[in-house]
Amino acid sequence: MLVRRTETDDPNPPALSKDAWIAQFSAPDPALRRRAVRALDSSAKSIDALIAQLGEETAPSVRSAIFNALSNAATPRAVESLLLQLRSEDAALRNGAIDALQTLPQLVGPHVERLLADPDPDVRISAVSILSALAHPDIPKWLADVVRRDANVNVCAAAVDALAEAGDEAAVEAIAALPERFPGVPYIAFAVAATVRRIKGL
Amino acid sequence: MTRKRILIVDDGTTIRLYYASLLSEAGFDIHQAANGFEGLEAAMTRRFDLMLVDVNMPKMDGYELVARMRGEDSLKNIPIVMISTESGEQDATKAYRCGSNLYLFKPVAPDELVATARLMTGIAA
Amino acid sequence: MTLNVPVYASKTLASSFTDEEYAKFCEFFYRKTGISFNGKKRYFVERRLLERMAEAASASFRDYFGLLRFQASGTELQCLVNLMTVNETYFFREDYQFEVLTNFILPEVVRARRQGDHVRIWSMPCSTGEEPYSIALHILENWARADEYAIEILGSDIDSRVLEVARAGIYGFRSLQRLSPDVRGKYFSKISGDSFQLRNEIRESVDFSLVNIIDPLHTNRYRQVDVIFCRNLLIYFDDASRRQAVEYLYECLNPGGFICLGHSESMSRISPLFGPRKFADTIVYQKPIKEGLGP
Repeated sequence: MLVRRTETDDPNPPALSKDAWIAQFSAPDPALRRRAVRALDSSAKSIDALIAQLGEETAPSVRSAIFNALSNAATPRAVESLLLQLRSEDAALRNGAIDALQTLPQLVGPHVERLLADPDPDVRISAVSILSALAHPDIPKWLADVVRRDANVNVCAAAVDALAEAGDEAAVEAIAALPERFPGVPYIAFAVAATVRRIKGL
Repeated sequence: MTRKRILIVDDGTTIRLYYASLLSEAGFDIHQAANGFEGLEAAMTRRFDLMLVDVNMPKMDGYELVARMRGEDSLKNIPIVMISTESGEQDATKAYRCGSNLYLFKPVAPDELVATARLMTGIAA
Repeated sequence: MTLNVPVYASKTLASSFTDEEYAKFCEFFYRKTGISFNGKKRYFVERRLLERMAEAASASFRDYFGLLRFQASGTELQCLVNLMTVNETYFFREDYQFEVLTNFILPEVVRARRQGDHVRIWSMPCSTGEEPYSIALHILENWARADEYAIEILGSDIDSRVLEVARAGIYGFRSLQRLSPDVRGKYFSKISGDSFQLRNEIRESVDFSLVNIIDPLHTNRYRQVDVIFCRNLLIYFDDASRRQAVEYLYECLNPGGFICLGHSESMSRISPLFGPRKFADTIVYQKPIKEGLGP
């Protein structure tokens, strides 16, 4: 039968010190760890504690809360910690970092050129993933530079894919030169034709 | 004869279009998903004869998708080919351990893609 | 002072956008909102694009798309989403989900419960009340075991004016069209011409409250919820807020609790925290009973 709910839960977390919240990171219950993550502020000490916990944390819901906290903090230190996750062997950590970084265009901007020059092609692909959903005016230029210079066919393919949505006329020349740079890769010819059509709106 | 149905799971729009154009020209019915989670939902909603699954995807990667499918009675027998930019032996091993039937490296040549699709869906060459 | 007015307004509908431009827009819009448009909707979509292009003073599709794609605030996209989505509400809207609720979800929720135990269902956003009241009516009419449990139905919205309307429980015939005459007769009394009021005991059984889904001090008041209906709300949020909202809803749910989104929405674009479950032809999402580490 239908009954009217009469009580609500207390919305306020207990008033604990920063150190006490950080100590809660070792609680066995992930709900308590999530609560601790959300209770922390964006001070350097809190960010450091969150970063350290990310290295230890295995529960997806707590990891997710940490990524949101780092994204909400929106500090250069938080962004640096997120960028480090791009090298992780753990796909969930890489993806969480990419999602968080995509929401911070101004803070990510200064790091982009360095990321796109990283010796590891997987890091470069992750960088292109970030750019594919980042709202920054230099995106077309950055992606066009990748297409112009990157030696790895899969990095270039990822950039061409992103340029279908984000590319401008200035990128067309670099894109059109790709089949010559990677002859004998039929996918590249296809992707170039599709992307140029998409950019030109033809 | 009913066309065999293939689900392409890859976060790259252009690569999905590429596989789709090659495979539909080869006579397959093609559906697409942009990440592992979407792929799982698609597999739960419609019966597929084959899934082509990228490894690196947001929200749920290829390994997790394959592992979840192998853990579900209604989904565990769908043939799966994983496709990745990683060409290391341990990546292939990981794919097979999750339950993938085959592992290919990107970029996949058109003939290889079509031949693999025919093989995995039981179509004679 | 003369004003330079862009000429796009003179385009005829037949030549508004190329196929490539339309495809580009649809792919982007789907990626951002989960909403996809079939061929029949092209006229509808193009008209609204032209409308927003006029407002934004964009001289071309390319300019306007650049605004959508690169504007950091996302304001223009929000305006466009509001224009593209139909915001009507009525009783038994998308009622296939209420069927799933009584046929599958509630039986699973109460499997380990005893007689008299509480079951908590939350409609968020509830707008003018049609959704939580629909849930109430559907349960009373279709769930044979409704009497065995204490069923709490909660309705929340960020807009206090709609909550007032919801509490009053007065609706025009248009809102009641999907109800059978029997159900209408049983639960509503006609108060004038086109006005029907929901019976007192139904109105009083739903608890309405003001909630901002991305304010944890609001959502923290809701715990041990078994089923959340969060339909056609998350499409209006940007990616970060959407993820945050879903995390707060996760917190509100009991382990094993369920969340139902609108029929064009999917968790696949938002967060992997929930697992998809299929009942009949419908996908709903479930909070893990116990949080695993993944494969």
